Amino acid sequence: MSRYRYPSIPESQVTPRELLESRRRFLNTGLALGAAAVAPGLLWPRSSHAWQGVLEARLDTQLPSHDLAGGEAPTSLRDITTYNNFYEFGTGKRDPETFAHRLVTDPWSLTIEGEVDKAGTFVLEDVLKHQELEERIYRLRCVEAWSKVVPWIGFPLANLLKRHEPTSRARYVVFESIHDPDNLRGQRRSVLDWPYREVLRIDEAMHPLTLLAVGLYGEILPNQSGAPIRLVVPWKYGFKSIKSIMRISLVEERPPSSWEERNPEEYGFYANVNPQVDHPRWSQARERRIGESGRRETLMFNGYADEVAHLYAGMDLQRHY
Amino acid sequence: MDRRTAINLFRLLVLVGCSAPALWLGWQWFYGDLGAVPGEAVVHFTGKTGLILLLMTIAFSPAFRFTGWVGFMAARRQIGLWAFFWLVAHMLAWMGLDQYWDWPWIRREMVELPYIRYGVAALLLLVPLAVTSFARVRKAMGWTAWHWLHRLIYVAAALGVTHLWILTRADYLLPMLFAATLAALVLFRLIDAAIHRQ
Repeated sequence: MSRYRYPSIPESQVTPRELLESRRRFLNTGLALGAAAVAPGLLWPRSSHAWQGVLEARLDTQLPSHDLAGGEAPTSLRDITTYNNFYEFGTGKRDPETFAHRLVTDPWSLTIEGEVDKAGTFVLEDVLKHQELEERIYRLRCVEAWSKVVPWIGFPLANLLKRHEPTSRARYVVFESIHDPDNLRGQRRSVLDWPYREVLRIDEAMHPLTLLAVGLYGEILPNQSGAPIRLVVPWKYGFKSIKSIMRISLVEERPPSSWEERNPEEYGFYANVNPQVDHPRWSQARERRIGESGRRETLMFNGYADEVAHLYAGMDLQRHY
Repeated sequence: MDRRTAINLFRLLVLVGCSAPALWLGWQWFYGDLGAVPGEAVVHFTGKTGLILLLMTIAFSPAFRFTGWVGFMAARRQIGLWAFFWLVAHMLAWMGLDQYWDWPWIRREMVELPYIRYGVAALLLLVPLAVTSFARVRKAMGWTAWHWLHRLIYVAAALGVTHLWILTRADYLLPMLFAATLAALVLFRLIDAAIHRQ
């Protein structure tokens, strides 16, 4: 595959990041205020807590639940929410829990653009309105050789993408997280090239196991777990499951993902869980299940080989790690 | 306060300063405040404390050179042994709380993983220093031999910083701080030696 090259744009035409973000904030606030102004008394005002209202009403109903972790007990909510990698808040495992209250999720809108027939920016409540929610219990395996079992609530990414009608040129799906250094202390240092970016092949994105999660343990997703909407790709290392998504672009040629860009030798594009391919600095053969002592054997594709191995048929997984 | 009292107080301060973190860690462990993976927290804490104390040990002689106060030299062996204590604790915590005494895996990781190799090498280099740190042994060895042997502390510290550096994933602030401190200490040593040779 040829290496992705960014189109070159003269410096004079590039919108400065601060300006772009202030515009984005202005538009977000504008959307909310505008809706509130035209619709008082007729509709629920789209001011604050609009998506939370929609989501909470749905969480109160009986949602279907699917155990896709082989009957294993989920990791405790406490362990799931106090041991995280979310570098936007800092690189310590407890930083996300400590600083997550600074993440501004209200209002939230999602931009879907690129090779789709129905592109646009949508407030989260509108996105949620069209989706059937369900609970899915998945194993989560971090590239750092620890793992959890997580009861997510969400909907298949495919259901969202299909609504926006990808064109035949859509070969990859690019996800981008929030960029807000004023509130996200981790983004004031260039540990990664912010905002965080992840990429899936279109067939991976359309796979029924690939989830957009908005809830955890029957509740709205806590900020440190990637509120308000995050990706969950259970057969890949956790860093592929990007948090707090603001933008989804369907493209023909892919850019590198954030970790791939940082260190391509160590964090490949595919990042499929594979006990036979070690990270250059540590073994991937075993993992520590949070809340357990001892080590477990890591499963091929994190135990989802029956569902996903065909996506990589004929590929040399030592090379395409 | 007379000279003797000041020195004794300083030694007491080193004793408290180097042992208090162990009490703190024990307390946190007992009350379950070390997070979702307490074993990992212990490994990280003992390693960082050990490396800081190792660099402080090296810093004690420049501190003496600058201030001329012998208290630093009087406490140097103590702080060096504390550094050794913390680094041994670090290795044992890794073996027990991280690897659960799984010897085949411990061996495998020691052989295969560069950062483990550097860490083990650093600790092995410190063993002869700890053994020869007692006054009687030092006297028996003679000052010159002892002095040469104990320069191994620079090698051990460099290996320790390398160990931390290569296990870091993305945020190099802490390893850079350690590396810069060690570089400054080495530089001081070289300049000091050059001046004294003249």
